[in-house]
Amino acid sequence: MKAKYLSLASRSMQNSLAYRVSFIVNMSASVFYILAMFFLWRAIYAHRTSLAGYSWNDMKAYLLVSFLSSTMLSWYSESRMSSRILDGSVAMELLKPIDFQAARLAETAGTTVFEGGVSAVLVTIVLIVYAGVMTPHSPAAWIAFILSFAVSVLIKFGVVYISSLFCFWTSSGFGVAWARAAITNLLSGALIPLAFFPPWLRATAYFLPFQGIVNAPASIYLGQATGAAVWGTLLVQVFWCVVLWFLGRFVWRFAVRKVTIFGG
Amino acid sequence: MSLIEVRALTKTYRQAVRQPGLRGAFRHLVHQRYTERVAVDHIDMSIERGETVAYVGPNGAGKSTTIKMLTGILVPTSGEITVDGIVPHKRRMENARRIGVVFGQRTQLWWDIPVIETLSLLRDIHEMPAQEYRKNLDFLTELLGLDEFMHLTARRISLGQRMRADLAAAFLHSPAIVYLDEPTIGLDIAVKERIRGFIKQVNRELGTTVMLTTHDLGDIQDLCRRIVIIDHGRIIFDGALAEMTDAFARERVLHFQLRTPCPTAEQELQRIPNVTVSGLSDTELSVRFDRAFISARDITGAIMQIADVSDFRIDEPSIDHVIKRVYDGTLNLAVRKGGGA
Ligand SMILES: Nc1ncnc2c1ncn2[C@@H]1O[C@H](COP(=O)(O)OP(=O)(O)OP(=O)(O)O)[C@@H](O)[C@H]1O
Ligand SMILES: [Mg+2]
Repeated sequence: MKAKYLSLASRSMQNSLAYRVSFIVNMSASVFYILAMFFLWRAIYAHRTSLAGYSWNDMKAYLLVSFLSSTMLSWYSESRMSSRILDGSVAMELLKPIDFQAARLAETAGTTVFEGGVSAVLVTIVLIVYAGVMTPHSPAAWIAFILSFAVSVLIKFGVVYISSLFCFWTSSGFGVAWARAAITNLLSGALIPLAFFPPWLRATAYFLPFQGIVNAPASIYLGQATGAAVWGTLLVQVFWCVVLWFLGRFVWRFAVRKVTIFGG
Repeated sequence: MSLIEVRALTKTYRQAVRQPGLRGAFRHLVHQRYTERVAVDHIDMSIERGETVAYVGPNGAGKSTTIKMLTGILVPTSGEITVDGIVPHKRRMENARRIGVVFGQRTQLWWDIPVIETLSLLRDIHEMPAQEYRKNLDFLTELLGLDEFMHLTARRISLGQRMRADLAAAFLHSPAIVYLDEPTIGLDIAVKERIRGFIKQVNRELGTTVMLTTHDLGDIQDLCRRIVIIDHGRIIFDGALAEMTDAFARERVLHFQLRTPCPTAEQELQRIPNVTVSGLSDTELSVRFDRAFISARDITGAIMQIADVSDFRIDEPSIDHVIKRVYDGTLNLAVRKGGGA
């Protein structure tokens, strides 16, 4: 990677430290949300041992992965991207010898290192304090999970980047971010595992990139995907990651005309 | 070929027409209507290496639009631009390496990290060698007094400090050309002077070509030998500043200090054509004249004969005055177009 993008990532990490309080507030919102889900599912599992192939233990682990994923690339990175476009400072970006998309990725990466650090600490605490949560079966599964999780963040970046580009056409970022979050949360499996969906919706979800954000890493973590299926899962994730990257470039080329042809 | 060549450059914006009220808003949803607005209208201009050019005109004249096209972030509707041999909007990145830009209304500083960190980020973005960076940074720090606030975040510094930091950011990578769109907007006189001094020195020592837009006539007088005036998207004057004041401000005012009152002055002077008395008191007499028709010497001679003069001085027209009259439309410069400095 070029030095300029590394440098951008490090500045972004510094910048996000200025927002540490909001981060913590945001993070605790995620914690409360996941606690609510935890109690909801616990009530559901009170008289059952298994649901759609998930035991209570599986579900707890699933919630953990879903939580982890929700803390990465939070509203902060998303709103920073869209506000760049909305407040017109995208013009200043165009005045620099730098690729817009790569620069946004570098910035997001910088912030994510910080977010990832905080949530890694949280998750470790959960794993130690609440010993009942299962972990991947083998070191190989751990590695596969970490890889898959890393790619899932890139997929999320692809989705968020493209959706922020829509801010070129809307005059507010809220609607875009809401719609983006609603679609992602449903189709990634962040709300409910895909196995609980009606067949047609599940089939659709499997054909879309969103499942690579939560469903894919969760299936590796839970040991639902083993052997060749792990490779398959990773490969599909990488495929979407690449597709979204180029789709992002394509949308950008149209979007930037708003600035360069119509003057913003 | 000149460093910057502009031929028949035109930008037409499409502006949405919305009828007022809710009905208008709904109607706009289904049936969008637009009008075309010509912001820059067939302008021609050549700028040589090392020049400092003031680009002035009333609000909405098309200055910022021109600058945006020159920097490559706005695509012209028609016409041609080459900057150092390349077409800016077609090779934006390459162009970006060679230029520095300040839009006075915006900042390129990162809000929540120290100013120095933004500068070192720019070093990496422009892939500057460490030595060059140090040298330029020292130079800029000294001229702009950056160390006063270098370690504060942009959020914490004053407007004047922010502008100085933005200038440092624009000049950091030794650009060949710098475009400054209102670099002194909202600043106090001390900061303005510091910034002017800085621009002058960089231009002199490094040969940086500077194009600046401003509404501050002090900026123009201090910095630029050449002035380009744009109005309604058209260039109405392009030439040396002195030439403009010479050609279009032939009017002079002579003030005479009187030892004794001279109540008859007005009457006496009526005999001389092209001279009017613009002020008369017991101690002072002011006469306005057109230098093309009569010389100060002749007027002084005539007045010496009718009044007891102790002292006199002559007022040159200020550019301020000239430009204001151009904007007002009371001075028509349309005939004077073309020709560099
Ligand atoms: N993005 C845009 N869309 C539509 N019209 C625009 C746009 N930007 C500028 N204009 C119009 O183009 C004209 C020229 O604007 P410009 O900003 O170039 O003026 P200016 O000379 O910089 O004025 P000022 O001294 O006020 O900064 C104005 O009438 C303005 O309304
Ligand atoms: Mg302007």
